[in-house]
Amino acid sequence: MSAEIQTVKQIEKPITIHPVWYKLKNNKMTWIGFVIIFVIILTSLLAPVLTSYDPTKIYIVEKFQGPSGKHWFGTDEVGRDILSRILYGGRLSLGMGVLAILITAAIGIVLGTISGFFGGYIDQIIMRIMDMILAFPTLILAMALAAALGPSLQNAMLAIAIVKIPVYVRLARSETLVLREKLFVKSAITFGIHPVRIILKHIVPNSLSPVIIQATLDIGDAILMIATLGFLGLGAQPPTPEWGAMISIGWKYLLDFWWYPTFPGIFLFMSSCAFNLIGDGIRDILDPKSNS
Amino acid sequence: MKKMIMKRLALLVFVVFGVTFVSFFLSHIIPGDPARMMVGQRASEETLKQVRGQLGLDQPVWIQYVTYVKNVISGDLGTSIRTQKPVLDDLTAFFPATLELAMAAFFIALLIGIPLGVLAAVKKDRFWDHFSRLFSISGVSMPVFWSGLIIILLFYGYLGWFPASGRIDLNINPPTRVTGFYLIDSLLSGDIVAFKSSLKHILLPALVLSYAQLAVITRQVRASMLEVLGQDYIRTAMANGIHGWVLLYRYALRNALIPTVTVVGISFGSLLGGAVVTETIFGWPGMGKYVVDSISYLDFPAIMGFTLLISIGYVLINLVVDLTYYFLDPQLRESEVD
Repeated sequence: MSAEIQTVKQIEKPITIHPVWYKLKNNKMTWIGFVIIFVIILTSLLAPVLTSYDPTKIYIVEKFQGPSGKHWFGTDEVGRDILSRILYGGRLSLGMGVLAILITAAIGIVLGTISGFFGGYIDQIIMRIMDMILAFPTLILAMALAAALGPSLQNAMLAIAIVKIPVYVRLARSETLVLREKLFVKSAITFGIHPVRIILKHIVPNSLSPVIIQATLDIGDAILMIATLGFLGLGAQPPTPEWGAMISIGWKYLLDFWWYPTFPGIFLFMSSCAFNLIGDGIRDILDPKSNS
Repeated sequence: MKKMIMKRLALLVFVVFGVTFVSFFLSHIIPGDPARMMVGQRASEETLKQVRGQLGLDQPVWIQYVTYVKNVISGDLGTSIRTQKPVLDDLTAFFPATLELAMAAFFIALLIGIPLGVLAAVKKDRFWDHFSRLFSISGVSMPVFWSGLIIILLFYGYLGWFPASGRIDLNINPPTRVTGFYLIDSLLSGDIVAFKSSLKHILLPALVLSYAQLAVITRQVRASMLEVLGQDYIRTAMANGIHGWVLLYRYALRNALIPTVTVVGISFGSLLGGAVVTETIFGWPGMGKYVVDSISYLDFPAIMGFTLLISIGYVLINLVVDLTYYFLDPQLRESEVD
């Protein structure tokens, strides 16, 4: 009997673990995404080592210098080094994008599990509020929210976190609905364990994986949205070196000094693209439908 | 079918109510003191009190909300702080320009997106598939404001082929207004010069705006084409000697387009969001540019009026999409009857 079980386990093992790694290993696009993100994060973190220019120090004599050995990406309208502003800006753009998604995922999980676990009125109220948020086009609601909260980078991040909540609530809720019917949760309820404990110990850990996938898919979009709000004047305010805000000032000088809005845009595009490549790869691997 | 439409209409009422609630919350509760914003920082307490009374801000919140909804229903979205005109008048004046741009972008997205998606599905894992994948990933990752700049730099700055801003050349009279769409109006009045000029002006912004949509549509068409092409009826059709264009377009694509309709509806929202940015870059005199100009003045009535109007439009589009979906898919229609 035990030998039989042993063989079953041996057969099972490679089937359950191997394919994901195998597919990930062979998915070149995903790896390209990882490499790009790694390089951008690394260069942003090492900004003080890589460049000796202060990203906010004005040096008017050097204004509008084209790309050269001294300033690889040129200088802006008050003589600041654009490369150094991009590198320091990477910390803000990527950091705020990730932070926005972390916040939205955290709130989404809490609301979604509560909604799914308790059901009834609580569920109705939470889900109807989510419906209201979903009724707006995301960027336009984020714009209105950021305007109402007052233009700043933190508020832009908050606005994006709020508009993205419904997706996570729905995901966590549907997972919870399935989990609630599972035997281990039912027995925990029968034992009289406090609902908060059941949610935290049993439901949340088991409903995390779809949320994590969604989060990877959303980071690229969040970065773009923060930059868009920055571009519209609703995000980071000058002289903060945020990519969207840089392009917002730079585009007025586009035809004469092409490098000014071009380089921050390339970095913005690359990082959003990289996150989308990673998200696309992960979805391909985990979604059985797309493999057929 | 009837029951479904009734259900959807009931939901619509609820959602529109929700939208007014959110926009009331954003325009009256969060920004601290709208009266202070209106009169400016240096106004005296007395003027402030007076304005507060005029705006009804001294009333309890729920009365304020009721007044707000009443005003919205009667078409009063407030007066713009920047232009000093009723917000609704401003928005309706700019609306045709935005709609024309959005429609043009939509048209381009469908025109390129559907064939590219079909091609990618037929040539799965070959050159065109990889190309379409790269093309669509860069589409959803491309910041609209940046791609707009690059296109202007290239086609206006270096090549000089297309104008960089506006709807029509300054020395050409806009066609007499019938629909508000320059392209259609100029054709109606037989003004070829105006038509050519407005076509030249709309091409770049529409192209930029369509890119993200194009990406989404291509991916969706590819995915659903792959699913449909694997089905039995396609194999049967092939066994009966049907192949090539007829098989792809008359047999497969028809069914593959059903899920695409939903995606198109959802991405129409992002198109409206994108229009805000595209209009700013290309100096396109539409609602988006109007609202961005209002942002720098923190002109709340204008911003919230725009948000409200766009969202209600968005809800209506989603309704139409859902209805189309039911209309297109006989299986759904039948299940509803039971």
